[in-house]
Amino acid sequence: MQKILIVDDEAHIARVLSLWLTRHGYEIREACNGTAALKLLAAERVDLIISDMNMPGLDGLGLAEAVRNRFGWDIPFLVLSARCDQAKLAEKLAAFGVRLFPKPFMPSQLVAEMERMLGATGSRSPQT
Amino acid sequence: MNDNPRRVFSFRFFASVVDSMKRAWKTFGGFWIAEEVPRWFGLSLVLIYLAGIGAVAHFEMLQAQREANASSERSFRYAVGALAEQLLARKAANPAEAAPAEEDQFLLERFASRVPTKILRLVDANGRIVASIASEEVGKPSSNDLVEGPFTNAAGDIGAPSGALEKPARLIRIPLGSTSGKGESTTGGPISPAGAGHDPASDLWLVACAVLPKAPTLLSSAGALTVVLLVLGALFAVHRRLRGQLRGISRVADRLRLNRDRLATDLGSLRVTDTFDHMTEAWNQLIDSAQGWFDTVQRTQANEELSRVLQRSGGGALSDALNAVPDGFLFITNEVRFEYVNSTVARLFGWSHEEARRITLPEAHAEGIGGEVLAIVRGALQADGSFEARTQVLEGGDEQASNRSSYRVWVIPLQRIRHQGECVVLIRDVSQQIQADRAREEFVTQVTHELRTPLTNIRAYTETLSSGMFDDPKVISECYNVITKETRRLSRLIEDILSVSQLEVGSIELTADNVDLRTLLSDGVRDVRGLADEKNIDLQMLAPAKLEPINADRDKLAVVINNLLANAIKYTPNGGNVIVGCQFTADAAVLTFKDNGIGIDAADHARIFEKFQRADDPAVQQETGTGIGLYTAREIVRRHGGDIELISAKGQGSTFLVRLPHRGGRATALSTTQEA
Repeated sequence: MQKILIVDDEAHIARVLSLWLTRHGYEIREACNGTAALKLLAAERVDLIISDMNMPGLDGLGLAEAVRNRFGWDIPFLVLSARCDQAKLAEKLAAFGVRLFPKPFMPSQLVAEMERMLGATGSRSPQT
Repeated sequence: MNDNPRRVFSFRFFASVVDSMKRAWKTFGGFWIAEEVPRWFGLSLVLIYLAGIGAVAHFEMLQAQREANASSERSFRYAVGALAEQLLARKAANPAEAAPAEEDQFLLERFASRVPTKILRLVDANGRIVASIASEEVGKPSSNDLVEGPFTNAAGDIGAPSGALEKPARLIRIPLGSTSGKGESTTGGPISPAGAGHDPASDLWLVACAVLPKAPTLLSSAGALTVVLLVLGALFAVHRRLRGQLRGISRVADRLRLNRDRLATDLGSLRVTDTFDHMTEAWNQLIDSAQGWFDTVQRTQANEELSRVLQRSGGGALSDALNAVPDGFLFITNEVRFEYVNSTVARLFGWSHEEARRITLPEAHAEGIGGEVLAIVRGALQADGSFEARTQVLEGGDEQASNRSSYRVWVIPLQRIRHQGECVVLIRDVSQQIQADRAREEFVTQVTHELRTPLTNIRAYTETLSSGMFDDPKVISECYNVITKETRRLSRLIEDILSVSQLEVGSIELTADNVDLRTLLSDGVRDVRGLADEKNIDLQMLAPAKLEPINADRDKLAVVINNLLANAIKYTPNGGNVIVGCQFTADAAVLTFKDNGIGIDAADHARIFEKFQRADDPAVQQETGTGIGLYTAREIVRRHGGDIELISAKGQGSTFLVRLPHRGGRATALSTTQEA
């Protein structure tokens, strides 16, 4: 079972993602901010990270940088953002090989995108 | 003399006619010159004028002729009288002379050769001509010599000189042998042919008819007028030929009149190019010379004058005025010289006025913002020594400091002829404007984020419901709860934004309701109870069981209560407490919102009530917020005639006191504004 790390300070988003991903057969790890996420990553390996952009303390961009520095470039990484300067942000994230997924989003679309990213890295296809 | 009054009258008449003609000419002369009046109109005016002149001239000529005739008739009469005396004297010397005819004939002819005379004859009592200048008449009868006065040739019994009688002539009869026959007394009336008491022997009459000049006829006057017209026509033709050139000059005159203010800078506009004669050439040469002189004078004088005015930094009025301006003002001449700097520049650059006058642009160094301004000025200096216009914003101070100043710098080249290396530099502090722009930008970013967050939840949970993948009743109910809650959050946010824009344009309207503050407060507390519970905050309401209703806008007050409560919960850490209260003073209802949260630094007290502004505190920045809640709350309270008071210090919790005017439950600010 593939492990997905969800990083979000907003409980509702984390909850709905967790619902959908569990339903699609993934194992979920949750962290409420960047610092907590790094702590968790140090302890175990995950297959994909979905993080919110705006979080108190370490935000999505900071987390991306830290993850790439410490854990390498092979973990697929998605950042969700509701900010208005999406293009600029996407450019910054791309520098760390991170995809930007704009809010508001449909969970089904996010799952599709996530599976595409997992497929591209050569991992197995998700359970149905 | 009875001629004089008439003459005076005619002169007066003539003068008045000429005067009125002159006035008419003055009035219509403008039309004649003006292009828009038809040519025929001007021409007919001239013709009418000439006809008038002609009529007056004709009348005057007639008058003059009449007087000349009278005068020559008097002279003639005198001469004839003298002749008569001569004849008498001769008869007296030779009384017995029987046939005096030859002698008389000789005298008559001699007289006629000296004085132009038409008829001159001696007639005896029987009307027979005894002597005449026309010798063939001698011996013939002469019947119409008997009457003095205007001579007519009706009878035709005497041969008159041919072709002479259409001219006016006067006949004079003088009896010889009687001294009473002298001319002056015999003008006018008829005299009997044979006067009683005359000696028949000497009963001879001298009859003379003077040649008088012919009176001018209308035809001759018209002839004269024609000549005048021809001359005028010729003059007009000459005028037309000259007009092209005259127009050039009049255009120059027009330009001179219109461009009086610009003459100093634009002499060249007075050059004439549309005519081609010598005059144009000379005029243009004159303009060129004037331009040359003007430039020389300007070059030599302008700098000194300007310097004199501007340099008197101690006393000049202009200098005082420029020193009073909050903007920095810098005047650079000759590409490098600081001709003038005002006090603001001196302060910004760290210069004294003396220093500014001594140094030049390449040598100049300045402190603070001055260095960057000088860099801009140097950058604006072109290779040819002129300055190019530039506008640039300088952000001074430390990037991170919240109170750093920003300046907008204008380099404005002076557009003076042949003064290239001159410019004015204006430095304006635009910190506030930039700060406001930044706050607005931040607001837009913040609002976008705030709007998208509930929207994201709504979409995500809606799809969760509609996907049919989740049939657990607990999940379904959770979805409904989130959607409801987030929809409420979204609509509240939109309300907030709307009220800000309404407050901004002043279109917000208050509705008067009888508001029970206790109910309103408990509704507000109920709305935020969920938020407080999430953070385990103890939320209490302290208010008397019964409160007098106040006159206010219920919905707007609900917004105030909600904003203040939400704020209190947001900035109070987990496990804290928030107390809401209400009490009445003599003239107001006071709502209290007290928390033991992070508190607000005194420096931020004023700022947090400003639109889009939030406290400059990392603990605040960490929370999401648009900076409109407190602004909206205070504006609404102020519209009610009240105000919000803040008691707080960093780390010691905050208390917001909302005062709403209330007097005996009736006279509130709102009811007064409603009546108005």
